[in-house]
Amino acid sequence: MSREELLRVLGAFEAAGLEYVLVGATAMAFHGVVRATEDVDLFVRATPENIGRLRAALRNAYDDDPNIDAITADDLLGDYPAVRYYPPSGDLFLDILTRLGEVASFDSITMEYKEVEGIRVRVATPAALYRLKRNTVRPLDRQDAEMLRQRFHLGETEGSE
Amino acid sequence: MTRQARVQRFRSVEEMSRAPVLTPADGSFERFVQLCARLRALAPDEYPRGVFKFRTLEEAQAARRDRHQSSR
Repeated sequence: MSREELLRVLGAFEAAGLEYVLVGATAMAFHGVVRATEDVDLFVRATPENIGRLRAALRNAYDDDPNIDAITADDLLGDYPAVRYYPPSGDLFLDILTRLGEVASFDSITMEYKEVEGIRVRVATPAALYRLKRNTVRPLDRQDAEMLRQRFHLGETEGSE
Repeated sequence: MTRQARVQRFRSVEEMSRAPVLTPADGSFERFVQLCARLRALAPDEYPRGVFKFRTLEEAQAARRDRHQSSR
């Protein structure tokens, strides 16, 4: 993942007015819990208008990559709430989610703003990240949850809003 | 970094090597992108291109796992 590419994507999100929230390792990094990753995970608000903003932002960041046309509101609001986009750079990929079963959606994730290089970034709070990660099956996620719990002194009931 | 976070305990070396590094939040973005770049340099991987759709997170994770296994 190149620094410039990530900043370009985050800047495009802000410029498009995208309603999103970063989760996963990229979000953890903004809270000082740092591990390497290949992807950028984000929830987006599930409305046709917002999916339009997502497509506009990605087209802006990736020079009108025609593959972006395959990211549709019909899918993200319908049977396919998880879309993985591999941009032409070949250096990272984006996991775009509108909901996670009954567990999470854009509206259920508390967020805060962080700033990097003048770009306002919407990041899930440590408690929200902990809640997303603590009950998943991947060992890596459980380990992330434990690091968040230690770092932010989160209890078992934390983030269970 | 808090005083309590200065010592991290692990049950195995594998667990330790997977663990995130706790750093002060200021400057952690730079450390993050450096770590990601190092990962790409040490374990280069050729990604496909385009858009892939999944009904569940489990499907998405399985696809990722399968791709990793097939690229080994």
